[in-house]
Amino acid sequence: MSTFIARRVLGAIPLLLLISIISYAMMGLSPGGPAAIFAAQAQRMSPIARAEFIHSLGLDKPWYVQYLYWLGNLVFHGSLGYSYVDQRPVIEKILEHVPVTVEMLSLALVATVLIAVPIGIVAALKRDTAFDYVTTVVAFASYGMPVFWLSIILIDLFAVHLGWFPSAGANSIGQEGNPLDRLRHLVLPVTALTVVSLASWIRYQRGAMVNVLGELYLRTARSKGLSEARVILHHALRNALLPTITLLGLSLPGLFSGAYFIEYVFSVPGMGYLGINAVFQRDYPTVMALTMLTAVLVILGNLLADIAYGIVDPRIRYD
Amino acid sequence: MISRIAFRFSSRRSALAGGVAVLIIILSVVLGPYLDPHSPNAIDHHIMGYPQAPSAEHLLGTDLLGRDVLARALSGGRVSIAIGFTAMLVAVVFGTLYGAIAGAFGGPLDAVMMRIVDALFSFPTFFLIITVEALTNQFAVGIIVLILGLLSWMGVARLVRAEVLSLRGRDFVEAARALGVGPARLIARHLIPNALAPVIVAATLAIGDNILAETGLSYLGLGVQPPTASWGNMLQDALLPAAREAPWMVLTPGILIVATLVAFALLGDGIRAAIDADAA
Repeated sequence: MSTFIARRVLGAIPLLLLISIISYAMMGLSPGGPAAIFAAQAQRMSPIARAEFIHSLGLDKPWYVQYLYWLGNLVFHGSLGYSYVDQRPVIEKILEHVPVTVEMLSLALVATVLIAVPIGIVAALKRDTAFDYVTTVVAFASYGMPVFWLSIILIDLFAVHLGWFPSAGANSIGQEGNPLDRLRHLVLPVTALTVVSLASWIRYQRGAMVNVLGELYLRTARSKGLSEARVILHHALRNALLPTITLLGLSLPGLFSGAYFIEYVFSVPGMGYLGINAVFQRDYPTVMALTMLTAVLVILGNLLADIAYGIVDPRIRYD
Repeated sequence: MISRIAFRFSSRRSALAGGVAVLIIILSVVLGPYLDPHSPNAIDHHIMGYPQAPSAEHLLGTDLLGRDVLARALSGGRVSIAIGFTAMLVAVVFGTLYGAIAGAFGGPLDAVMMRIVDALFSFPTFFLIITVEALTNQFAVGIIVLILGLLSWMGVARLVRAEVLSLRGRDFVEAARALGVGPARLIARHLIPNALAPVIVAATLAIGDNILAETGLSYLGLGVQPPTASWGNMLQDALLPAAREAPWMVLTPGILIVATLVAFALLGDGIRAAIDADAA
């Protein structure tokens, strides 16, 4: 197991390197970079001062040279650079925004699993009945909803009309340390994120259960006289839950995308809110750092899912 | 094989319903603008700022500029579905070539190519799409299609590579190679056509994903720009505070998007089930 983990961690290094090159290249090759923005903003600067400023940020160099500087700073000084917007260390800004996102993601993931897994299992047991068809259509509908549309409807209904939950932010003023207040703020964003992630989980769980129901060992269990409940609960269920663990890892990039977008709509001060605003401000160092951090979290999530899979399924051996 | 799959497909009610719904939606956005007397961009100055509720004159009401919502929904649907479809084509063509080349050559080339796919898979591509679109600052439909397509081909590439790997050792490939068929022709004429079945399912679902991505971009002001209608920018308009009292503005594009996505998902799911049942 430990050699497996070590190998995966080592394998992640070239992957992260590749991700950083791709992201940097995409930003560097897109027209309308920060140099143009600064030039437009800094009208009052003399041309010499402007050139000096752009030079001091290294923005007059080709993107691959900038990338090497960025990489060198990260590897040799452990620095992710300074924000173009307020010149604060990027790492400091990001660390402030990580907790809310992680809280939101974990709550949404737990809610999704608790709702989707039972529905998927029952849909498989009642295959080709009305229940199966209805859940299929509802699942697809929840996947087909534009997430900001759903968010705005939730805000309109539960924040504006009913006034049950706040519509924006992560804390009321003066309530920064209060976990209950935080939870109240997260209810609507987490609901939106849960609804849009339900579909894939329901479908996946249903598919896994349908596969297991066709297995011969269930016929064996039935033929030795076990009750149907025992066959389903002891023999089928456990095996049908196994593949779902892999979905935990696979669904992470999508969950992050959804969370980032929802944070922006609900003004939740998390990584996505910071990231999307940084994109609009051409704050490359912040965007880069966020991309890398997200990639690290996704790779870590996948690794954890694989380890969990190895623990619950004794047939899997990592060596 | 095709006719057996078609038979299995048509014997599933949900799959058929999805297929019929997709046909209806495509026909109405293609033909609808010819049948609807209103122009999608005609502004009525008399009712500007006062969206009119649905009536006999305007079946789905009017928007903030006094434009007919039905006419905009139809022509906007055309734009949204066209974006979904062409971005899917870009992704499928690129992904298929990429996956086939990786699978056919194998070895270190395959390893490097698939690591790039892994890399692109391990971060939220939608965030990347927003970044590239915001930095490019170009909102022509063609650019949006390219960006969506070129950032969503990885799934197709993986599918095609896996198929090609399993085809590589088969007799007909050996035979072709023994006859002196070169790698380009082998990939194009022998490997790709036999690896396309799972791609069809992914392609069906990709159309919906692209439509959704366009709405997300529109919300951020990075999608199709007015006055050209798309379902995304209709929703963006409808969410302005001034449109609070006009639920038909929010509901029309919203319901159409959800219905279209459900239809494509049922269709894709039906095709998948038909292919699986045929293979079993």
